[in-house]
Amino acid sequence: MQQQQTDPLADNPFFVLGLAPDCSRQEIEREGQKLLGLLELGLSRAATYQTPLGPRERTPELVRGAMAELRDPKRRVVHELWADVAQATSVAHERAEQAQASPGEAPAWTDVWQLFDWRAP
Amino acid sequence: MVRRHKRENSDTLLTRMTLTTPRYVGIDLGTTNSAAAVFDGEQVTAVRNAQGASLTPSVVRIDGRGNITVGARARRYLERDAKNTRGEFKRLMGTSQDLAFASADITRKPEELSAEVLKSLRKDIEDQFGFAPQRAVISVPALFELPQNAATSEAARLAGFEQVELLQEPIASALAAGWSAEESAGSWLVYDLGGGTFDASLLETRDGLLRVIGHDGDNFLGGRDFDWAIVDWLLAQIKQQTEVELSRSKPEHTAAITRLKQLAEEAKIELSRNESTEIAIIELPVPGGDPLDLEVSLDREMLETLCLALVDRTLDVCTRLCKTHGLDPGGLHHVVLVGGPSVMPIVRRRVQQVLQVAPTEGLDPMTLVARGAAIYAATAGLDARPESRPEPVPESQRVWLQHPAMSSDLTPHVVGKLVDSEPDKAPGEIRVLRSDGLWESPWTEVDEEGAFVLSVTLIPRRPNIFRIEGRRGPEQKVAIEPPTFTIVQGLTISDPPLSRTVGVALANNRVRVYFERGAPLPVRRTFNLRTVETVPAGSEECILKIPIVQGEFDDAHLCRLVGSLELRGEKLKQHLPAGAEVEVTIELDRGGRMSARALVPSLDQVFEQVAHLLVPEATPEVLAANLEATQQRVIELRAEAFQAKIISAIGRLNSIESRLASLETDVAAAAGGDTDAAQKARRAFLELDAEIEQIELDKRWPELEEEARETVIWASATIADFGLPHEAKLLTDTAKAIEQAKNNRDALELQRQLRLLARLGSTASLRHPHAWHHRFERAASKADQATDLVAAQALVKEGKVAINKDDVPALRRITQKLWQLLPDDPEDRKLGHNSGVR
Repeated sequence: MQQQQTDPLADNPFFVLGLAPDCSRQEIEREGQKLLGLLELGLSRAATYQTPLGPRERTPELVRGAMAELRDPKRRVVHELWADVAQATSVAHERAEQAQASPGEAPAWTDVWQLFDWRAP
Repeated sequence: MVRRHKRENSDTLLTRMTLTTPRYVGIDLGTTNSAAAVFDGEQVTAVRNAQGASLTPSVVRIDGRGNITVGARARRYLERDAKNTRGEFKRLMGTSQDLAFASADITRKPEELSAEVLKSLRKDIEDQFGFAPQRAVISVPALFELPQNAATSEAARLAGFEQVELLQEPIASALAAGWSAEESAGSWLVYDLGGGTFDASLLETRDGLLRVIGHDGDNFLGGRDFDWAIVDWLLAQIKQQTEVELSRSKPEHTAAITRLKQLAEEAKIELSRNESTEIAIIELPVPGGDPLDLEVSLDREMLETLCLALVDRTLDVCTRLCKTHGLDPGGLHHVVLVGGPSVMPIVRRRVQQVLQVAPTEGLDPMTLVARGAAIYAATAGLDARPESRPEPVPESQRVWLQHPAMSSDLTPHVVGKLVDSEPDKAPGEIRVLRSDGLWESPWTEVDEEGAFVLSVTLIPRRPNIFRIEGRRGPEQKVAIEPPTFTIVQGLTISDPPLSRTVGVALANNRVRVYFERGAPLPVRRTFNLRTVETVPAGSEECILKIPIVQGEFDDAHLCRLVGSLELRGEKLKQHLPAGAEVEVTIELDRGGRMSARALVPSLDQVFEQVAHLLVPEATPEVLAANLEATQQRVIELRAEAFQAKIISAIGRLNSIESRLASLETDVAAAAGGDTDAAQKARRAFLELDAEIEQIELDKRWPELEEEARETVIWASATIADFGLPHEAKLLTDTAKAIEQAKNNRDALELQRQLRLLARLGSTASLRHPHAWHHRFERAASKADQATDLVAAQALVKEGKVAINKDDVPALRRITQKLWQLLPDDPEDRKLGHNSGVR
């Protein structure tokens, strides 16, 4: 059983818990506890969760990890951004598939140089 | 005797019948003293022992007839019958050290002695509450290593507990303090100065959720070090007054030193209440001379002078912890003091001065940890009462329930599933009713999987008992088993974070990280690894090791070996070739107890025995050599730092040098037969090694910056050409993290981020049309070094054919196989704890 690779889009804690990015702290605890209970009982309704990259398998480790991430206000902000990005670009999945089909056509990534105060080569 | 036994049983039975709500037990198994507490969902009660005290000294005596005495009665013999009385064995937990009891001519392991203390506490609970607890939460220091946790669990098993969970001490303290606080919102710092260790934890409570933000500590600093500071002062006084020179490094002076240490501890406690004290040294044994009698005056001012540097060391840890988490000391809302030494006035004063907040009043620092552990037992649903099995109601339907045992939420969910249900007898609807009759849920349908989800309403700050009812039609009731369940409304505690990163050491001296520090426990993870050598079936000599390590470093040799899975040739069904796949799973429970397994799919064999789950031995010779080598390394590094004008390194080297000076005392005491000092020194060397490695890493900073620049250029270009959109986004994230690590000059973090970036670039580069061609050429150029030359040559031949046919999938398979046959550097493998996997 190989651990699936983490992905900020697919493993976004809001998606794992099935909650909106503006949910309250209490909702995170309540939903997390419920999902852990459902998973412990092996119930199908908790087995997968929806992401812009398609459905993913939900595990107790992912749920606990998601709860821990969203309890930390600083880390929650980052996940809120990612969840918003994913929702705003609802075509992300299709784009990924297109890019996979023709890698040469993937958008170039040039802004990274600015982050380092370097000139693009 | 028989009658008495019967009476006890009937009393216990009576009490059990009256205990309608669960009871939760918490135990603080301390270095010097231990304590227990019982929580009933509303109140936490400290357990009193037979002497009426809430603290039981962690001391065990075994006399010539094998009679065992524990606690205060045993402590009286610690000095006058040292050969048959043992204390402070918690520091040796997880080591293979056997402790001898001379008169009975037996030895006991540290966990066996801890089990005696636990048995004694268990008996006290039975005497006071009428039941022998079966389940409990036992606290452990936050920085305990995995073998120490395993030894604690073993002690509990030996003491007769059916199930225990371990809890980090600072979380226990904060939980107890949070439970008693009226207004508990804000940031907490738990300052826990125990007998042997110091822990500082930063926590936050908000909306009833208690969250651990982080912790730091010093495994080598505790109240005992204060005692030693007084002992050293006493030795100087004795020399001055009598010209007799006693030394901690001489085995023949052990009896005198033990006596002085006890006097020092008493004086320290006395000076927490009084301004001065007289230390009466009577008949102090002096080898080859007359016993000494003298009286020495010690006042609080002198004590504080002796201890100030140690207290300030604890506060350095606190400020470092606050700084790491972006908190100014003034931003703290509460400071909770825990542990006996924390009652010293100088500790309270310095805490207030440095952390700018007065320690919280009204909490008993001695039983706080046990109280918190008892509350935690409630959150974990660990009812301590012996299992009572009432006759099930005929025709009742069993349900498997999942709900939080304790929750800050006033309306948590309860999830249930019918077990072994028969379609014509199973209930179609379920509801729950609170025992006060003031609330009930609506009837809820049982779904096609036999499951239901309900939301229940809790009364704040108390145990809420609910009855479950089932019905098949409006009139046909179905009895449910269990008929009731309890939820305590209180705090929700976040999952405890892992204190150190855990991974597997690889043959190239790197670490495959399984769980990063801070990962919420429990955790479980599996990785596919490959063997680096052939293990013949039936061979007794051939053992393939999978070392499990703890630490924050990329290089395995800098991390601590905490266990090892072994694939022994004698146990293999068939030969295990080099390059064979091994699925290695590591699991840690909420208390940090580790289990591991290795599955070899090709043989369908599982290996689960974790060997050598021990803290390594620390011989005086090795320690002395370590000391010399470290001192030499510091001198060299200082010279280089002066030459290169790296001021920060000079400061850190000075700090290391001052710690080396105090380590010299421990190494000398180890030579004098003090095994505890030897273990302390061993751990100190590991910490110092890691710090020195960090300084060396800092020395490489310009190279690392260059490496960062090159890696970013390469990864950006590769991802621009072959990356997917989400990889481009990941690149942005990683680039930001790299920039932050550069700004903070954090070499470790920079290395970590560069690894991530390299993986990202490497994934994208695989989409290059000739990616596998290039990889094959590189692997083929090293084929002459392969562990199996014939197989490697055959693969090279096959690869060339695949290139000619332009068969990329085949080329990829061949290249991967070829990689598995290429050897690791033997020196690296040795450093990597002789790992047999990669």
